[in-house]
Amino acid sequence: MLRYIIRRLLLAIPILLAVFTLVFLVVRVIPGDPATSALGDYASKEAVEALRERMGLNEPLHIQYLQFLGNLLRGDFGVSLINGQPINEQVAYALPYTIQLTLASVFLGILLGVPLGVITAMNRNNAIDYLGRIISLVGLSVPAFYFGILLMLLLAVKINVFPAVGGGDLREDPIGSLKFLVLPTLTLGLIMTTSVTRLARSAMLNVLSEDYVRTARAKGLAERAVVVRHALRSALLPIVSITGFWAASLIGDSVLTEYIFSRPGLGKMLVGAILQRDYTALQSVMVIYAAFVVIINLLTDLTYGFLDPRISN
Amino acid sequence: MPSKRTAFLFSSIVLVLALVLAACGATPEPEVVVQTVVVEKEVEGETVTVVETVEVEVTTQVEVEKEVVITATPEPVEEPLILRLGQNAADLSSLDPHFATTTEARGLVDMIFNGLMRYQPGNGAFEAMEPDLAEDFPEMEMTDDGMQVWTFTLRQGVMCHPSGNLASYELTSEDVVYSLEKSANPERSAYAGEYTGMIFEAVDDYTVRITLEQPLSPVLFYPKVANYSGGFIVCSQAVEALGDDKFKTYPVGTGPFMFDSYRPQERVTLMANPDYFRGAPQIDGVEYRYMADVSSREAGLLAGELDVINGQPDIAWVDKMQVESGIQVDVFGVGEVATVHFNTTVTPLDDPDVRKALAYAMDRDEFLALFGEPVAENVYSPVPSKFLAGGLTQEEAEALDLDYAVDRDLAQQMLADAGYPDGFALEVITSEMTGYRRIYENMQAQLAEVGVDLTVNVVDHSTMHAQIREDVNPIIVYIAWRPNADVYLTRFYHSDSIVVTGASPDTNFSHYAAIDDMIEAARVETDADAQIELWKEAQIQTLEDMVSYPLHFQQQVYARSDGVDYGHELVSVLALYPGITENTTLER
Repeated sequence: MLRYIIRRLLLAIPILLAVFTLVFLVVRVIPGDPATSALGDYASKEAVEALRERMGLNEPLHIQYLQFLGNLLRGDFGVSLINGQPINEQVAYALPYTIQLTLASVFLGILLGVPLGVITAMNRNNAIDYLGRIISLVGLSVPAFYFGILLMLLLAVKINVFPAVGGGDLREDPIGSLKFLVLPTLTLGLIMTTSVTRLARSAMLNVLSEDYVRTARAKGLAERAVVVRHALRSALLPIVSITGFWAASLIGDSVLTEYIFSRPGLGKMLVGAILQRDYTALQSVMVIYAAFVVIINLLTDLTYGFLDPRISN
Repeated sequence: MPSKRTAFLFSSIVLVLALVLAACGATPEPEVVVQTVVVEKEVEGETVTVVETVEVEVTTQVEVEKEVVITATPEPVEEPLILRLGQNAADLSSLDPHFATTTEARGLVDMIFNGLMRYQPGNGAFEAMEPDLAEDFPEMEMTDDGMQVWTFTLRQGVMCHPSGNLASYELTSEDVVYSLEKSANPERSAYAGEYTGMIFEAVDDYTVRITLEQPLSPVLFYPKVANYSGGFIVCSQAVEALGDDKFKTYPVGTGPFMFDSYRPQERVTLMANPDYFRGAPQIDGVEYRYMADVSSREAGLLAGELDVINGQPDIAWVDKMQVESGIQVDVFGVGEVATVHFNTTVTPLDDPDVRKALAYAMDRDEFLALFGEPVAENVYSPVPSKFLAGGLTQEEAEALDLDYAVDRDLAQQMLADAGYPDGFALEVITSEMTGYRRIYENMQAQLAEVGVDLTVNVVDHSTMHAQIREDVNPIIVYIAWRPNADVYLTRFYHSDSIVVTGASPDTNFSHYAAIDDMIEAARVETDADAQIELWKEAQIQTLEDMVSYPLHFQQQVYARSDGVDYGHELVSVLALYPGITENTTLER
């Protein structure tokens, strides 16, 4: 197992390097630059050129690449080209908000999705099943940002239950900041719920038709015991896979959600970096996102192996 | 056999009961005491007084000393009154006022810094300018060698904000000179070009002398030393202590609000300056929040989490918000002017008659309807006459027959005479921003009516700005505010400013070179009326040559809760936000 983990971590290095190189090149191909963005269209061309020089943008491309890569290996993301703030500090500030939102959304997705999937599977082809399937289909069809705005209008503006915008202060008031988590979590988590529900239903239906489940019933076990102790564990395997997929996906989806709800997470930082052509911030955030995906995939594989010893062997 | 859990529960109950009983306290036992009493008895028919000793059962009263604490009714702790403003921006760019070129940055530095002169709050007209850090309007004199000298006397007792280890100190001429020299340094300011040929001296602690190699009229000079762009005065000791880079996120000025904190991607918090020379602010601070999505800002305002928001420059949005209970919408200047520029080096736009035909094909009112009055208003010259001296009014343009009132039949005839009876095709790029995209889409429809096929490709805003400066577009829509006519004309119509090939490439998209002399003559004209006439003549020439077709200006749109009173009327603000001053009040 240890060798497996080490091998996977070593494989992550070329993946992250490829991501970084791709982002480095793509942002420099897109027209517009940080100096123009920082100074606005009012600034003269001389002022823009002077700022480009100070930003190091006139250095040869390979020098810029090696400089940033070298800093990255030392754990230094550099400074924002726009406001000169250390990216490390900005990431340290924003990362907890994104992690908090992603974990809460995954938790909600599983907490609601698995039971709903089991319930619809147990009530196959009746009203409960049909209702569950329609709701999950609608949920999969609705874009996250649209759903988020609807929730905001309903639960924050019309009925002032939760804050509409902001992330609260995670450091000074972690409990108080939880209320800022509700609407974004509902936005992302409910969409994941619909996918998990469909998969859980499908997995349960497959498992419920297996011989060993029939045997368990024949032994006289209560239906609850049959489902929970025998069927569910097998059905969990594909759910673990989809959870890992969704966790990685939700990190990406959190970009728009943080933007809409104005949560100061990595997603909002990424959007700002794109709009302002802040190359260092953009490169740093993309590398972090790539690292997240790699780690989540590894954890998913390890969990899969734990649940099914045949896989880990 | 009871389970461990049950035993634990029982023991806990017993313990609690025992504690309760102990807490109640026992009643003291009565005790027998011997007392001497005097009684009256009947002895052999006579009443006699007898002293006897008796045993009496007495319950000792335990005196409990009670501490009676009298407290005054606690005064409720008042929450600080912080005005929360939602701004259309992703994050902070710079709080160094000499690099604060973006809209979001201008609003912040306006609250933190002062200038020698200032535009009145809510009124950005030149005629309304007044002294700020200066006690009075400056004295002007000419030297024997033709240089112009402006002398300012500073107010005394103006204090710089405290910052970190640096205590508050009095602003003097040394700070003013330092600040203006910083503005004039291209390494330390985005506005250095505005201060070329100026010498700054501190005559004494409260006197500043500015010598100009090239004399300027007050119309052109006052804005350079006003509370705008390079004219903001920074506190030299703070800049030296912090360094230029740190100063961008830790500004120190003399304004009504002081920098308190910055949370990345989230907000900048300013606190009231109790020592502000115009009086302590009536609110305790400002939270300036970065919220680039208008839906978020709207929701924040309607939910009561924000007090002021930057809105959408669109009459539909204004109408929608105005019907909301407790919300006011303000539409005010300055107006950013939208102008259509024709690249005169591109066939067939190199033919003046073709350009005039396109002008006659376009209807200003159709473009105006995209945004609606009063959010937008038509303009008839590159310089907007409503906000700046030197612009042509509608009446003046019509009198000269240079308003190019829409006439599509004439346009088609002119195109046919120019050799394009079937029209022609052009391809352009536009920004995805609403202001640009709508204009191009409408232009596409209008020009199609005279046979001109315009292909419009949408790119993001930064990309558009980069590409049009590489001379990509044959027809360029540009929306901009500039502080005076000289800047408008120089940057859009002087040959030095021609994109790519100019001596100092800027935004002369037309590649126009016919009015250089007029621009330069107006710049050095010190008589205000003569200067205005020169500017007007220059613009008349651009209209006669039809190198650009002025459309309209788009004003600023902000919404606020009823409880916000800015403390001044809103006509126009150069900082592109309503203006929050020491007189701004807030009720919740």
